[in-house]
Amino acid sequence: MDDPAKFLLRRLVRRIPAQMLKATLEKWGRLNAEQRESLNFSQSKWALTQELEALCEESRLTVKHIAELEMIYITENPNQMMWHAFQLLDPEDGALAVELMQFKELFKCHLRELVRNVSVKIKKHTDEAVWIRMSWGEGFSRLSHLNATYVVHYLQTPYVFVSGLSPKNKPLLLQVLTLSTKHERIKDANLSGRKLTAIRDLLLRQYEHVFPTKYPSPLTERNQSVSNLHTEKEQAEASAKRHQMAGQAFGNGVLPALQSAVYKLETKFKDPTNQTMTEQDEPFRCVVKFSSTNLLESLRHCASSGIASTPVAPLLSSIPLKGRNYFVITDKSPSANS
Amino acid sequence: MSLLAPFNKLPTLNTASILLVESEEKFQQSLAVALVEEMTVTVNVRLARTLPLPLENDESRPRIDLVVFIINLTSDLSFRSAKASLKYLDPGYFLGKVCFMATNARHASVHTGLLDAVRQLAVSLHCPLLFAEDQTPEDVKSSARRLLTILKVASGLVPNTSALFLSNLTRCTMPLDIDQPSFD
Repeated sequence: MDDPAKFLLRRLVRRIPAQMLKATLEKWGRLNAEQRESLNFSQSKWALTQELEALCEESRLTVKHIAELEMIYITENPNQMMWHAFQLLDPEDGALAVELMQFKELFKCHLRELVRNVSVKIKKHTDEAVWIRMSWGEGFSRLSHLNATYVVHYLQTPYVFVSGLSPKNKPLLLQVLTLSTKHERIKDANLSGRKLTAIRDLLLRQYEHVFPTKYPSPLTERNQSVSNLHTEKEQAEASAKRHQMAGQAFGNGVLPALQSAVYKLETKFKDPTNQTMTEQDEPFRCVVKFSSTNLLESLRHCASSGIASTPVAPLLSSIPLKGRNYFVITDKSPSANS
Repeated sequence: MSLLAPFNKLPTLNTASILLVESEEKFQQSLAVALVEEMTVTVNVRLARTLPLPLENDESRPRIDLVVFIINLTSDLSFRSAKASLKYLDPGYFLGKVCFMATNARHASVHTGLLDAVRQLAVSLHCPLLFAEDQTPEDVKSSARRLLTILKVASGLVPNTSALFLSNLTRCTMPLDIDQPSFD
């Protein structure tokens, strides 16, 4: 096994937590059963790496096979890397009919046209997502498998999620994606986060929605926390209305676990008590970042408990509505623009 | 502007009514459950987030004997909201029918300025300030018991005492060391 392969293997074993290592190796399938039995998983990671290296040498595995192992691990645990979402626009006629084999061929074909030194591996995951792992090489030098780019695309949806892409390779990859999905343009969806499942659910709107109704159904059934004859809530109606509006803005039930939202303000300073700052002509640049273990859940709670005024402000409700978490706000249009 | 007035309705026999005002709406619910368990007196509990109370409920609402403002010492917002609600109470309530209850006083993130401000408010209004915990059921039960003692007096169910007499004994005072000028 050559050096890059050893290096990749070592890094991978360090990264995969001990409990998952056994299962991942089984799924990989490149080591046969008796080799896997011979591994002692209770020893330290360093000793385990040495044993694994020896086994891989035995089976004459190359860096490509180790890259497979990495891909299997990442596919099962996508919530550790930083993902950025892109949106494909202007579909051509055949865009909706692109299925897996066609996509694979088009992708590889267009990629070869644009870049010479790149290695691609495409796999279809159980939940209809297409996973692509790409290792880039500099010019004519050897491929570096260490900083691979991962792309996740759900066929027939216009969304692509990318992680680990360097700015140099970005225009190439985006062009290849646009061509192979038969669209005309691709743009940044302004949505990024660590949890792939969360940003995917947000964009594909896979959470429980609340639709606006004129006659909300039995409000009394919802707040059953005080159900005694002698206890009564004075402002039950107002509270139920707040709940309804918060639900309409953010949704019901479990919300996608989005973890941060960034607002970049480029508006003029407005404070009547502070004359010196208000006199400045240039916009006051400010960045506001919200972060939480589940941002949408906390915003919904703010709205339903009255901390944030209802109806929910468009700046907050556009996070789930437009599916983005990076906003640039300028004076001309107070709502989000791209 | 409709003020909540203490004596503009007739009382009911052997009944006491209490209004719990809390901007977070959490502690008041467990307190309500504990208060209603009282056997000797029928306790009516009303829960609100802020005052003024909605006009629609005015007819069905009983005469409120005691108004309790629950302030979470870790949240500045709950203090401000309680302060803003005070102006919707008829001044007649402040003769022993208002009580402040502060929760989470033992929490690490309590602002000392906030505790002083709550004390100052209770002192200026001549009202008692109770400190309560809301973490376990026993804590909730003991807070409810203390409230019931004051409630029974405020609703006239204890002979030979009235709310005004009790408030002279229970009202909050600033500890002397804060009032003293410092000797440098």
